[in-house]
Amino acid sequence: MKDIITVMKFTIKDMVRRKSFIISTLIILILIVLGFNVPNIIKSFSDESTGDKLLIVDNDNVFEGNLELLKQANLGYEIEIGSANFDEIKGKIENNDIDEAIIIEKQDNNIKVRYIIENATMIDEVPENIVNSISSIYSNMQISKLGLTEEQLQAIRPNFEFNLEQISEEVHGNVFAMMLMSIVLFYAIYFCAYQVSSSITTEKTSKIMETLVTSTSPTTIVLGKTLGIGIVGLLQMILIVGTALISAKVFLDTELLNAVLDMSNITAYLGIITIIYFILGYFTYALLYALTGSTVSKPEDVQSANSPVAILAVIGFYLSYFTMMNPTSELNIFASLFPISSPFCMPFRIMMGLASGTDVAISIAILIVSILVIAKVAIKIYSNAILNYGTKMSFKDIINVYKDKQN
Amino acid sequence: MSLVLKNVSKTFVGKVAVDNISFSIEKPGVFGLLGTNGAGKTTTIRMLLGIIKKDSGDITWKGKPVDRKNVNFGYLPEERGVYPKTKIIDQLMYFAELKGMKKEEALLSINKWSKELKVEEYLQMPAEKLSKGNQQKIQFMTAIIHNPELVVLDEPFSGLDPVNTEILKNIIIDLVKNGKYVIMSAHQMATIEEFCSDILILDKGKTILQGNLKHIKETYPANRVEIDVKQNINSYIKEFDLEIENVTNNNYIIKISEEEKAHQLLNKLISTGIKVDKFEIKKPTLNDIFIEKVGE
Repeated sequence: MKDIITVMKFTIKDMVRRKSFIISTLIILILIVLGFNVPNIIKSFSDESTGDKLLIVDNDNVFEGNLELLKQANLGYEIEIGSANFDEIKGKIENNDIDEAIIIEKQDNNIKVRYIIENATMIDEVPENIVNSISSIYSNMQISKLGLTEEQLQAIRPNFEFNLEQISEEVHGNVFAMMLMSIVLFYAIYFCAYQVSSSITTEKTSKIMETLVTSTSPTTIVLGKTLGIGIVGLLQMILIVGTALISAKVFLDTELLNAVLDMSNITAYLGIITIIYFILGYFTYALLYALTGSTVSKPEDVQSANSPVAILAVIGFYLSYFTMMNPTSELNIFASLFPISSPFCMPFRIMMGLASGTDVAISIAILIVSILVIAKVAIKIYSNAILNYGTKMSFKDIINVYKDKQN
Repeated sequence: MSLVLKNVSKTFVGKVAVDNISFSIEKPGVFGLLGTNGAGKTTTIRMLLGIIKKDSGDITWKGKPVDRKNVNFGYLPEERGVYPKTKIIDQLMYFAELKGMKKEEALLSINKWSKELKVEEYLQMPAEKLSKGNQQKIQFMTAIIHNPELVVLDEPFSGLDPVNTEILKNIIIDLVKNGKYVIMSAHQMATIEEFCSDILILDKGKTILQGNLKHIKETYPANRVEIDVKQNINSYIKEFDLEIENVTNNNYIIKISEEEKAHQLLNKLISTGIKVDKFEIKKPTLNDIFIEKVGE
């Protein structure tokens, strides 16, 4: 036990002191803080510029002066009402005196509205808010001429209130937030676990293995290393998620934040569940990676030896993605219990209220049993394969090494 | 009897690596494990330390099976390795702690050995910045830092310059003086001859010669005579029907089948007034014995 702690402490110290680790963590944190400031940055730019200059010409006085109302409508344009012919407008646009112009002309019984712009490659239709505003000013004008009463007006234009509601009672919560969390969980588990493999291969390629296995047992090395990397990974994840949550609170407007993320869903219970599944998921993948990592001795073989685990992880992730897209599908039961996918999809299902306490208990029990089985196999293969220097071991070699009773 | 290996064998996928070897080390000293490349030296050492399991036989230390718990041993593997990006002091502390040392004890020991091995200035550097020779000294330090009773050194001098070889030799001599048991594998016979009281020569996994080095050499009759003179003595050598093995600056190495002939030659030279600066009847070197045995 003391040795496990020694190995764990050495692993943590070695990882945290790496320049690459410090720099990459800092970059991620800076990107998160910057990312949450993007809406503010965009807003500060749009506040400074007063928008495009739009000249509206109503030579035929179709709107009887009511166009002045557009100036109060906050359409994002600096609106000027004036009179000019087409050539004058053309000249003004070319000289950048104005950006766009609208010419309103009466043609027999029709009203023709010409939207004039220098180059129509970026905008291929007349902006909808302008079309709506102009037509509503015109209809208001006409309605008021009819001399309708307040009630009649109300009857013509009722205030519709549009609401989105779902029939299914169980599914609630913010899918976007949950998906985001599942993705974060997947990356955190996957990349932390991957470190275990690269750490083992580094020890093999630097030939320190023989000194190490005569100093302590292989079980101690695998467990100490896995724990150490896991602790660093967990702290790193908490730091990243914490920075993201604080940045969201500090930098995002509450309205925007609530639209994207229902903060009321982020509770201590959710935090604990996420951490539990992170730890269990991490151990599952880390021990699988310990297994594949110990079968190689050259850094160039790491990728190919690790690919089976990478494929499992992708399958696990897509299973959990499928459950998010189809929260009531039958496949969910499988995905929630299968140890490869349950760490990514269970937190999501628990938050959506789709998993009962029994489901949670069963999924955690299956994960723990799987971890114990994988640990047994991984440690055995690690013990027998660590002194295999040379070519990457084939699947057959691995089976032989596992069966090797002498070792 | 401290260390005993009895009928130990190991086979790797159809290839016999070590075939039924037995030896024992009774008192502190250096035991030499000799052999050509691939003779089974490293496999023997790995079995001895429990890194790989033996197929058959017994290995005991003071009556108990050899493993980390029963024996306090230090090991310098043939495959040299360090953590390239980790500070030397941190890796030394790590291994010292794994070997059960307390922090203060470990620091004292690191200070002591880094002075003796002249690596003090590298303690705060990452290993990748050290030369190969210095990395090897660090590994040697890892093997002895925890004051082990049994020190196993697999080719300790390979790759070291003469100055560092001397430093290491002196430390090994001190270890023996302090009552340590040292097992050393090597293929430089001169080094083994300098240190080892007992040896074992392996060839293709089999023991071809073993025992006390001095006794072994005694069983081999003298086979050469070295004569240092100031002039050419070829004609006298011919007269006694002897064969010259090598001549450099009138230093003659002459093959002999019996010592008597050498003495007769010496008498002849003196009686003819030739000044003889050096006359030495030579026993075969370990190198000769090794080549004779392994070349058979």
